[in-house]
Amino acid sequence: MSSPPLIEMRDIVKVYPNGVVANDGVHFTVEPGEIHALVGENGAGKTTLMKILYGLESPTQGEIRLRGRPVHFRSPLDAIAHGIGMVHQNFMLIPSFTVAENIVLGQEPRHRMLVDREAALQITRELSQQYGLRVEAEAVVDSVPVGMRQRVEILKTLYRGAEILILDEPTAVLTPQETQELFQAIRALVAQGKTVIFITHKLREVKEISDRVTVMRNGRVMGTLPTAQATTDQLARMMVGRDVLLTVEKPPAQPGEPVLEVRDLTYVSETGRTMLRDVRFTVRAGEILGVAGVEGNGQTELVEVLTGLRPATGGSARVRGREILNATPRQVRLSGVAHIPEDRLNNGLALTATINENLIVDRYFRPPFLRGLFIDSQVVQEHGVRLIQAFDIRAPGGDVPVASLSGGNMQKVIVAREFSAEPVLLIAAQPTRGIDVGATEFIRRQLVEKRSGGTAVLLISADLAEVMSLSDRLVVMYEGQITGVFPQVDRVSEEELGLYMLGLRRQTPEEMEAYL
Amino acid sequence: MSIGLVLRGIFSALFVASVLRISTPLILPALGGLISDLAGVINIALEGIMLVAAFTGVVVSAYTQNVWLGVLAGLAVGTLFSLILALFHLYLKTDIILAGIALNIMAQGGTVFLLFTLTGDKGSSASLASGTVPRVVIPLLHDVPVLGTILSGHHIFTYLAFLLAVVVAVFLYRTPLGTHLRAVGENPEAAASVGINVVRVQTIAIGLSGLLASLGGLSLSMAYLSFFQNNMTAGRGFIALAAIFLGGRTPWGTLLAAVFFGFADALANQFGSLQVPPQWVQMIPYAATVIALVVYNVRRRRQAIERARRMQEQLHAQGTAFGGGD
Amino acid sequence: MNRVLRSNPVREALRVAIAVAVALTLGFIVTLFVSEDPVGAYKAFLFGPVSRLNRFGDWIEESITLIFLGLAVALVFKASQFSLGQEGQMVLGALVAGAVALYVPLPGILRIPLGLLAAMVVGFLWGMLPGFLKAYVEADEIVSTLMLNVVALKIYEYLLTYKIKPPDAGYTASATFPDPGILPTFLPPLPFLAEIRQLFMQRTNISIALYLVLAAVVVVYLLMYRMPFGYELRMVGANLRFARYGGIHTRRTIMLSMAVSGIFAGLAGAHLAMGIHRKLILNITFGLGFEGIVVSLLARNNPLAVPLTGLAYGYLRAGADVMERSSDVSREMVLVIQAVIILLVTAERILPMVQRRIAARRSAPGAAQTPEPAPASGPAKGDA
Repeated sequence: MSSPPLIEMRDIVKVYPNGVVANDGVHFTVEPGEIHALVGENGAGKTTLMKILYGLESPTQGEIRLRGRPVHFRSPLDAIAHGIGMVHQNFMLIPSFTVAENIVLGQEPRHRMLVDREAALQITRELSQQYGLRVEAEAVVDSVPVGMRQRVEILKTLYRGAEILILDEPTAVLTPQETQELFQAIRALVAQGKTVIFITHKLREVKEISDRVTVMRNGRVMGTLPTAQATTDQLARMMVGRDVLLTVEKPPAQPGEPVLEVRDLTYVSETGRTMLRDVRFTVRAGEILGVAGVEGNGQTELVEVLTGLRPATGGSARVRGREILNATPRQVRLSGVAHIPEDRLNNGLALTATINENLIVDRYFRPPFLRGLFIDSQVVQEHGVRLIQAFDIRAPGGDVPVASLSGGNMQKVIVAREFSAEPVLLIAAQPTRGIDVGATEFIRRQLVEKRSGGTAVLLISADLAEVMSLSDRLVVMYEGQITGVFPQVDRVSEEELGLYMLGLRRQTPEEMEAYL
Repeated sequence: MSIGLVLRGIFSALFVASVLRISTPLILPALGGLISDLAGVINIALEGIMLVAAFTGVVVSAYTQNVWLGVLAGLAVGTLFSLILALFHLYLKTDIILAGIALNIMAQGGTVFLLFTLTGDKGSSASLASGTVPRVVIPLLHDVPVLGTILSGHHIFTYLAFLLAVVVAVFLYRTPLGTHLRAVGENPEAAASVGINVVRVQTIAIGLSGLLASLGGLSLSMAYLSFFQNNMTAGRGFIALAAIFLGGRTPWGTLLAAVFFGFADALANQFGSLQVPPQWVQMIPYAATVIALVVYNVRRRRQAIERARRMQEQLHAQGTAFGGGD
Repeated sequence: MNRVLRSNPVREALRVAIAVAVALTLGFIVTLFVSEDPVGAYKAFLFGPVSRLNRFGDWIEESITLIFLGLAVALVFKASQFSLGQEGQMVLGALVAGAVALYVPLPGILRIPLGLLAAMVVGFLWGMLPGFLKAYVEADEIVSTLMLNVVALKIYEYLLTYKIKPPDAGYTASATFPDPGILPTFLPPLPFLAEIRQLFMQRTNISIALYLVLAAVVVVYLLMYRMPFGYELRMVGANLRFARYGGIHTRRTIMLSMAVSGIFAGLAGAHLAMGIHRKLILNITFGLGFEGIVVSLLARNNPLAVPLTGLAYGYLRAGADVMERSSDVSREMVLVIQAVIILLVTAERILPMVQRRIAARRSAPGAAQTPEPAPASGPAKGDA
């Protein structure tokens, strides 16, 4: 018999209080000294699984064994005590502290009553040297680049005695050079006996760095295999393949005039990163243009720039010939744009306000809602009743706060408002994410109906099956650029799209030109 | 004109000494407020804590005829009073501003209520024979002409205020607890992730701010004056808050700002004696704080933009431009 | 879910009632300790304001000020802007209303509206300043309004001491306003009311401010719940990002919420000057600084409930005055009661805790366990 694996997670089930099943009977093992890649789409349950391993979440069911012995982690402190460290996607650093201060925070070396700064610097330099993680011990974290912040996080876990490191999408924030540096450091760590679990959805990196890979989809493990034996095509299929492709009845599109014309759109974020580069596409009346892509490749920024929520850096976007870049959200809406936002709880709704109030945010200032100086509550009431009925919102009435509704019905409130605005352009971002099947079906049917009625629809979704079944044309976004255009959705396979989404393939600008 | 007189007044040793004396009940609560502010729990109740401590000190010293027992009692009761804020905000989830306002109202009413109950007088505790802390005469220095007047012969709280500025600076920046405290104030999630108990640290911070504010209150009723007066803090708790903001939330800045406010106050007294309206000078600290608040925010935003621009240039220089989600 | 429970009006009223009851009981216990005649003192406290006409007048006059202030706070807090600037707006309102009353040689029918208008305008402007700083410079409104309060107080003191005070006056106060600068009594000069009008005029200063404040309640209600500005204000208060997404000009709304709130604090100042004191005195706003917050808080920022809480709160204050005059307990006890009420009403955890206790006790006999409330930290996304 061989020795037990270093980590063994058995039959892990995690159901959140809101009913979302994030992990559904997951088995996951890690051998000592390996680099184990954990891949899957957003929402596949990778991070949840790792949060359970790190003691941040407790599993609904299942068992964790460490070196063959069952363990229970009530908090990250327990996990740390057992030699597990985690580097989160959003760094847990104190911006105004120095690198050394951050590394020793909570377990400072002391000299008499005081923090021994010299010792902290010394420790930092030694750790940095030992593991080949280059940091400036005395620099203030706020002023160092993202790559170094990440190395600080890794050193933090090593200082606390981590033997097993969980890195949650560590390359998402890095430049290619920084990614290479990180990979070298990871190899150095493993050479010194550490074990690394590496969460990612970039298959290129999986091939490059890992020894074994586990693929997750929909809260389940699709398989674990040695990286050397896996092809990227195979992994892509395991990741994005769907068991059932749901069908939406869809009459053929009859595209009309161009409604939205985006040209050379560029957006640089406040922190100085280029999130959108030279994006160009056109959406015509009566068609659905789908934007496929792994989340975090600029889709969120694209939508927010187009709807006036962020300033664009350059380029143009015209709705029926009228420039909408850097206009206010109201001006954008008045030019006929409706928007189903990605982050519905924070952007799309005021939870403490009533359904009726949520339904009029884009129209309260004009007739028939506004009569003279006042908002006509009778009209608002009737408007609410009508939309609640038309959009099948399950609620006792229009006067209840939106917070009392289920997730699917909350989304229907947004959909009801945006669809009833009679837009010429509808921008729908992740319109069915995380809501129940019934509501999903309903919203998809409504989208197709709108498009058949002559509305131009820009659909952004991380759910590949959704974009494929709904869109008339498709573009793929990767790292802030459009890397592929597919004028006929039925002529392209999921696997092929997957390759574009994961950056393994791209069309040349010349190839795309004709279709944009 | 009288400008000459004013100038001579300002540059006299007595004036400088008065600035130090007037600054004392501002420095102490400001340092306390700084501690809780850096821990992420703004203490609006400084004013009330000062009143409670000032009152307790006078009453206990009058009834025990022991100044130091009075001081101790004032510190204890003032600190306990501040812990009511911690209890309500941290454990019962009351909004910290509203809880702070409630404590100020309670202190203002409670002290006068008890004062009246004990003495039958609502104005002051003059009828109680309370003590004052001794003045400190520094042996040799006292006889040096100008320096002696400025530096020697103050009440012990004045020396304590400046000493505590050093202690607070060391505490905040050099001790483990002070470090944890700042970490909690800046990023509680990160602090919790390395095992720091956020609520405990914030409780301690509020308690310490109460302790220092209590010292400030005692310096009013047992040094600056020798009795308790209805609402004798007269907004000093709020000036202390202003000093923290004006001082850029650092111990030295806060100390400087508090002394500056003391200077403005002393100056107002000078003008008052010359029949010049003191209100304009009294207004300075508050107006300065509003202006500082504006300047600070404008500068911070400009810095953020500048930093973004620099990073952008760096990335362009490297030839790579894309990063994932923000 | 918690938010929904909190907005339940019945639960709200219950919560306020419990808080008031607890605080009053506490006050009585204190009275037991300090008074020779605690029952008499508490009787004076609880029934004083309705025992004589002049006391009744004091109660109503005080309540009018409190309701104006409560409306000002309700408006601005509903937008989630925590402006504490009512005192500054009030004192400047009193100042300009007083200046109009003293110096503008117009008949009362014009002078009074002009004074009120001036107070409204100055309140608006003094509120707009921190509002602008918050909306466009992101300067914390709590700090800026606290500071601007003192600036306003100093301006008031300066002008009163050096410009307005008659040179021969013994203490710092203006001359008493001439009749055209004083708010007329609330009872119209009708023949059949003549006698009772005379009585009220002798014993009380209840003026037409009574009608003004009732009108203000209606105006604030309409503004907040029936007009576009109120809708914008409430959406900004409920979820700033939603408001922006929906197309609301959020910066302007923030600025105006603080400015419009100032109008009502300004009116409170005008009422103090032209209605109650009938001259400008030092510390004219004494003890009123944060009272509007309490009134509005007890009304849960609902303008229609503000008159009730304002009257109730004014009653406590007036009762405390009577108690002080007719017993050995000082009026400041009411401040302690008030503080306890604020703490109990705003403590989010207290009511749920009490409910859980009750629920636990109910289900205890069957040895059934009360399920721990599920942690509310379900992630919005499955994998973030």
